Amino acid sequence: MNTQQKVPVSILTGFLGSGKTTLLNRILTEEHGKRIAVIENEYGEVGIDQALVIDADEEIFEMSNGCICCTVRGDLIRVLGNLMKRRDKFDYVLVETTGLADPGPVAQTFFMDDEIRAEFSLDGIVTLVDAAHIEQQLGRSDESTEQIAFADVLVLNKTDLVDDEALDRLETRLREMNRMAKVVRSKQADVPVDTVMNLEAFDLDQVLEVRPTFLEPEYPFEWTGVYTLDAGRYELSLAEGPDPAMSLVVVSDQGTDDAELREGAEWCVRRYAEPAEDVSPGDDIPAGKHVNLKLDIPGDKSFFLEVDTPQRVGLFAQHTAEEFDLQLKNAIGETIGHEAERTWVAQHEHDDEVGSIAIERDGDVDPERLNAWLGKLLMERGVDIFRMKGFISLAGESRRFVFQGVHMLFDGQPDRPWGDEPRRNQLVFIGRNLDEQDMRLGFDACLV
Amino acid sequence: MSGLNAGSTRGVIRQGWSATVGDYAIAGGWSLGGEALMVGDAEGSVYAFAGKSGATAWARREIHEGGLLAMAVHPGGSTFATAGQDSRVLIWNATDGQVSRTIDVGSAWVENVAWSPDGRWLALSCSRQVHVYGADGAEAWRSEDHPSTVSAIAWSNAEELATACYGRVSFFEASTGKLQQKLEWQGSLVSMVLSPDGGIVVCGSQDNSVHFWRRDTGNDSMMSGYPAKPSALAFDSTGTLLATGGGEAVTVWSFLGRGPEGTRPGVLEYHVQPVTKLSFAPGAMRLASGGRDGAVVAWSLNRDGEGSRIGNGFLADVVAGLYWRPDGRALAALDAQGGVTVWRVGNN
Repeated sequence: MNTQQKVPVSILTGFLGSGKTTLLNRILTEEHGKRIAVIENEYGEVGIDQALVIDADEEIFEMSNGCICCTVRGDLIRVLGNLMKRRDKFDYVLVETTGLADPGPVAQTFFMDDEIRAEFSLDGIVTLVDAAHIEQQLGRSDESTEQIAFADVLVLNKTDLVDDEALDRLETRLREMNRMAKVVRSKQADVPVDTVMNLEAFDLDQVLEVRPTFLEPEYPFEWTGVYTLDAGRYELSLAEGPDPAMSLVVVSDQGTDDAELREGAEWCVRRYAEPAEDVSPGDDIPAGKHVNLKLDIPGDKSFFLEVDTPQRVGLFAQHTAEEFDLQLKNAIGETIGHEAERTWVAQHEHDDEVGSIAIERDGDVDPERLNAWLGKLLMERGVDIFRMKGFISLAGESRRFVFQGVHMLFDGQPDRPWGDEPRRNQLVFIGRNLDEQDMRLGFDACLV
Repeated sequence: MSGLNAGSTRGVIRQGWSATVGDYAIAGGWSLGGEALMVGDAEGSVYAFAGKSGATAWARREIHEGGLLAMAVHPGGSTFATAGQDSRVLIWNATDGQVSRTIDVGSAWVENVAWSPDGRWLALSCSRQVHVYGADGAEAWRSEDHPSTVSAIAWSNAEELATACYGRVSFFEASTGKLQQKLEWQGSLVSMVLSPDGGIVVCGSQDNSVHFWRRDTGNDSMMSGYPAKPSALAFDSTGTLLATGGGEAVTVWSFLGRGPEGTRPGVLEYHVQPVTKLSFAPGAMRLASGGRDGAVVAWSLNRDGEGSRIGNGFLADVVAGLYWRPDGRALAALDAQGGVTVWRVGNN
C-alpha cells in the first residue's frame, strides 16, 4: 500500500585503509540537511551528528539450499526493516562493508527480500581502491577482486602516493577487470558526491548509461590490410619481429568500407577460434583458414598467396604490418600498396581471473533460444558471474528489452520502443574465468 | 484522539473504537484484564487507552529514543515491559504510566522482550545475547553470544526460555541459563512459536519455508513452497493447529493424528497482499489474520485446519499488530500509519 518513493541505498566497499570512512564523512558533510542513515560494520570514525549511525554485525545468512545467490545480509534485513517504519523516513542509506566483505550478499539482499525490495532500491556499489596497495591486495585476496568486479564506481584513491605511469597502468588493469564501472581518481576520497550517489546503477532505465567505449569489441587480431589483386601468385614478406610466429587469416572478396571491414572481422573471429594450421616460410597460405606463420628462423621470411580471379583480398593479422615490416609483392617483386587499412583493439592477455565480456551484435534475438542460453549460462556459471547489464532486441517485440543482474538474480523488462533506431544487442558480463569465445558463440546462436 | 467509528466491518467483527498514535504502531497488548490497551510506536512513544471507550488514559511521547521495538504485558496484567533502539527496557505500571524500573543493556537494540508464563522472569534479547531478570529486577544470567543476532525469543514453560537465530534454536534453563537443548538447521530463522505445551517449536525461515522440531524425539520437518517468508506464526491454545503466513494465503497445519507430515494444510484465502499477523482467540478455534492489504479477517477453523471466514474489518494500511482481549470478545488491530482499532467480536 506504500506508494512512496523507494529509499536509495549505496554500498561502500574497499579494503581497510582505502578511504571509506573519509568518503563517508565527506558525503555526510556535503549532504548536510538530508536525513542519511549509515550502517557501519567496522570501527569507523564517522563524526557527523545529524546522521543516524548504526553499528551492525555483518551477518551473512546462507540458505539451506546452499545457493550463494540466495545468501543475504541478515543484519541489513533487520535494521532496514526497522528503519523503514519511521514516518520521517530517511532520504538515503549508506552501507559500509568491512574491508574483507564479498559485496554479493549485500547486493542480493535488495533483490531477495521482498519487504526490503518494496521499500529500498539499491543505487550503486562504490569501491574505494588504495592506489598504493591494491596491486598487492589483488594478488592476495579474492575479496578485493570481487569488490572491484561488483563496482559501479571505482574510486582510485590516494593517487598522490603513486606516480602517473603506475596509476595509468593500474587504471587499465581495473578497467579490464570491470569495464562497466566508472573510474574516478582522488587523493583523499575528495570526489564530487554526485559521482558516488544517486547513480541509479541498478535502475533498468539507466542500464545504458555506461561508458560508450566499453563496448568497443576486442579482436584476436590487431591489423587488417585490403589489397586489390589480379589473378596470379603473390609473395608475403616479413622481416624479423617481436614474435616467433604470427596468426593470420586471408579473406577473399573483402570490402573496404567500415561496415564491410567489421563484417570481415566478425567472420575472422570465428576462424581465429579454430585451431591454426602451421605454415612455414616458402609455403602457400590457404585462403579462409586460420594459419600460424612460423617466423622463428632469422632474417626475412616469404610466404605465398595464389589468387585465381581478380578480387580484393583482406589480410587479418595478429600484429600490425609495421611490427614485421609486412609487405605484399607481385610476381616481379613490386610492393603493392593496400587499398584500405585498419587497426583493431587487440584482445589483452588477461592476467586477472576476473574480467569483463562485452557482446555487441546487430539484429534480433529469438526469445526462446535466448532464454535457454541465458538460463543455462546462469545455472552453470552464475556463481562466477558477478554483474551483468545490457539490452536486447527480441524478435517480435517493438520495445528494447533491458536487463541487469547479480549472480543468478536476473531482472529484466521491456523499456522504450525501438522506433527508427537500428535494432541491436549489447550485453556486458563481469565474472571470473568466463570463456569469452564460448559466450560470444552462445549468444550468436540466439540471433534470428 | 479516539472515536467510535472504526470503518466498515462484517460478520462477527463489529463496530468498536479507533484512535491514533504518533507513528507506525509497532506493538501492543491488553493489560488490567482487558481494561486497558497499551500501544508503542516507531517514534518510541507509549500509550494506554481505556479498553471500552478508547479514551487515552496516559501517553509518554518519545521515551525510547530511535523507536520502540517490542512490548510484553506481564501475565498479572498490571505491569508491562517495552524495549527499544535506545538499548533500554522499561517496566511500566499500566494504570498510571510510571516507569518502575529501567534496564540498560549498553549499546545494542533490544529487539525482543518476554515474560515467563508465571511472571517470575523477564527475558530480553539484544544483539547476539539474551539476558534474564528475576522478579526483583536483578539480572539472573546472560547468555554467551549466539552465532548471530537473536531473532526471536519465547518461553516454552515457566522454567525454560527458547531463542532463535541463524541456524539454531536454543533452550535455556530459566533460573541458571544452562543450555538444555540445541536444535540446528542451516537457515535464517526469522520467527518462532512454541506449542502451548512447549513440545513443538516452529520457525519461519528467510528462504520461504517453515521448519519445526518435535522436542521429545528431536525429529524435524520442513514445509516449503511458501511464496514469501513466513514471519507470522500462531498455535491455537490446544496445540492442534498451526497457522502460518508466508504469502497471501493463511496456511493451517493440523497436528491431529500423525500430522501435519503427509497431510494437506487448510488454505484460507482472502488477503490480496501477504499476511503480516496471525493470532488465535484465547481458548477458541478462532483465528484473526491481518495483511499488508490492511484487511483483518476472523476465521472459524476445524480441527483438520480447514476453515471459513466469519468476519472482516479494514484498516488504512499494513496490519502491524493483532491482539485478542483476554475474554476473546474484542480484537485490537494496529496499523502502519499509527491507527489503533478495537472491534467488538460477536459469537456468530
